[in-house]
Amino acid sequence: MSRQNTVLAIATPVFFLVLWELAALLGLIDTRFFPAPSSIARTGVNLVQDGVLLESLAVTLRTLMVGLIVGNVIGTVVGVSMGLIRPLRASLDPLLSGLYTVPKLAILPLLLLMLGLGEMPRVIVVAIGSFFIAWISMIEATMGIAHGYLETAESLELTRSQRLRLVIFPAVLPEYFVGLRIAVGNAVLLIVGVEFVMGGSGIGSMIWNSWQIFATERMYAGIVCVGLLGYVLTKLVKMIARVAVPWSPKSTSRRR
Amino acid sequence: MTTAHTNTMHTEVGSLEVTDSSARQIKATIRDVSKVYRGRTQVPALDNVDAHIYDGEFLTIVGPSGCGKSTLLRMINGLQRPSEGAVEISKSSTDRPLTSMVFQDYSVYPWMNVFDNVSLGLARSGLPKPEKHSRVRVWLDRLDLGKFESAYPSELSGGMLQRVAIARALVAEPEILLMDEPFAALDAQLRRRLQEELLEIVGDAGRTVVFVTHSLEEAILLGDRVLVMSARPGRIVDSVDIPFDRPRDPELRKSPEFRDLEERLWLMLKEHATATA
Repeated sequence: MSRQNTVLAIATPVFFLVLWELAALLGLIDTRFFPAPSSIARTGVNLVQDGVLLESLAVTLRTLMVGLIVGNVIGTVVGVSMGLIRPLRASLDPLLSGLYTVPKLAILPLLLLMLGLGEMPRVIVVAIGSFFIAWISMIEATMGIAHGYLETAESLELTRSQRLRLVIFPAVLPEYFVGLRIAVGNAVLLIVGVEFVMGGSGIGSMIWNSWQIFATERMYAGIVCVGLLGYVLTKLVKMIARVAVPWSPKSTSRRR
Repeated sequence: MTTAHTNTMHTEVGSLEVTDSSARQIKATIRDVSKVYRGRTQVPALDNVDAHIYDGEFLTIVGPSGCGKSTLLRMINGLQRPSEGAVEISKSSTDRPLTSMVFQDYSVYPWMNVFDNVSLGLARSGLPKPEKHSRVRVWLDRLDLGKFESAYPSELSGGMLQRVAIARALVAEPEILLMDEPFAALDAQLRRRLQEELLEIVGDAGRTVVFVTHSLEEAILLGDRVLVMSARPGRIVDSVDIPFDRPRDPELRKSPEFRDLEERLWLMLKEHATATA
């Protein structure tokens, strides 16, 4: 059954790629907008060979990771603290909930005004986006911990630090990783958006420049590359989660 | 320091004035305890409950659901405080916890394996690690969990999970073991198995146990004495001594004396089930 699934999972996109290739070959679609997959691949290989692609990727990845980690750590700490401490929740929740709905890209001009054109505003946009996702998932997770778990901890007279270490952190860990996966996708979105606007040498600006000079193949290669970046990072988070949450019942894997 | 406290007090009683060795020593006293839950309306849960828990007895508490029997247990555990009155427990040892509780569910942590879950019972004890480990192993073996010590709860059945909870409560050798409908979520067969196991474990050692249940059969089979409570607000209706000797055979259930007792308790419950509702 699962083998059949694998075959289908691979065969479907391959089928569409072949269809696309044929359509381009036969002139059924305008290759100025839809260049054949083979020519996109060729351009991609060239870009990899002359180092442009990997260099852009490295630049983007660095900004993304710094922003993601900073935002995620702060968001997690704030979220868990707010989940546990009622006065903190009361004082910060309305403010953060209000700010949460502001599109993160909309504050980029403000950051540029304050911080200039360096690396900093890019990192901060990604960090803010990552912060909110971690914050929202951790405050919900912490407040959603089954009452029985906490009551048991109280009954066992665990110390405050034992309660955090042995009960609260492990209880929110599965949701933490769900949040992190969402945050990764969101961070890729934000960094590409920022690079569209700010230029520089990241993969986002490569895509943007390509359309301006009508280098369609290059553009496609960039898009595929960003897609892969998101995919690989998400996969990585899933793998880490599997190691870090060994107790999760196997049923979390999707039904076959 | 035993008077004038309106909250749960764990008082030290060095020597009790009981000299007659055949007299039952009082382990804990529930003194005029009332509990009112204050929400939009005030809900009285317990009404002037007065009771003793004797040293070494297995006390079962029965009552209609919502009568506050779990609340009472939580007060003994220190999880809740009486609105009025006090719970006084005499402490006889410094290195044993006063009470340990076995809950109905949600008490075995899914992120820890069986061994670590049971070890939690000793989280606050100052024992050296090897000593802790050997005590955990002893209880794992007594509850047939030895083979599962590195299994996660998601791999275990409900009956196994309650065994883990019981092992965790007993590993600390509490002065009073509290059990809040520990078998209520199990199917009938498992429930019987665990009752029988509990009879074996507790039957020997003269442990002080307070066991809340809504099953009369369970209350009679396990208990030395049954406290019958009324519907909300809970009051103590009666205290009934169970005349059967220990060690008890689970076959006891079938005896006419057992059935008679069950009938008697049932009538008592029925009479007070809707007294104030």
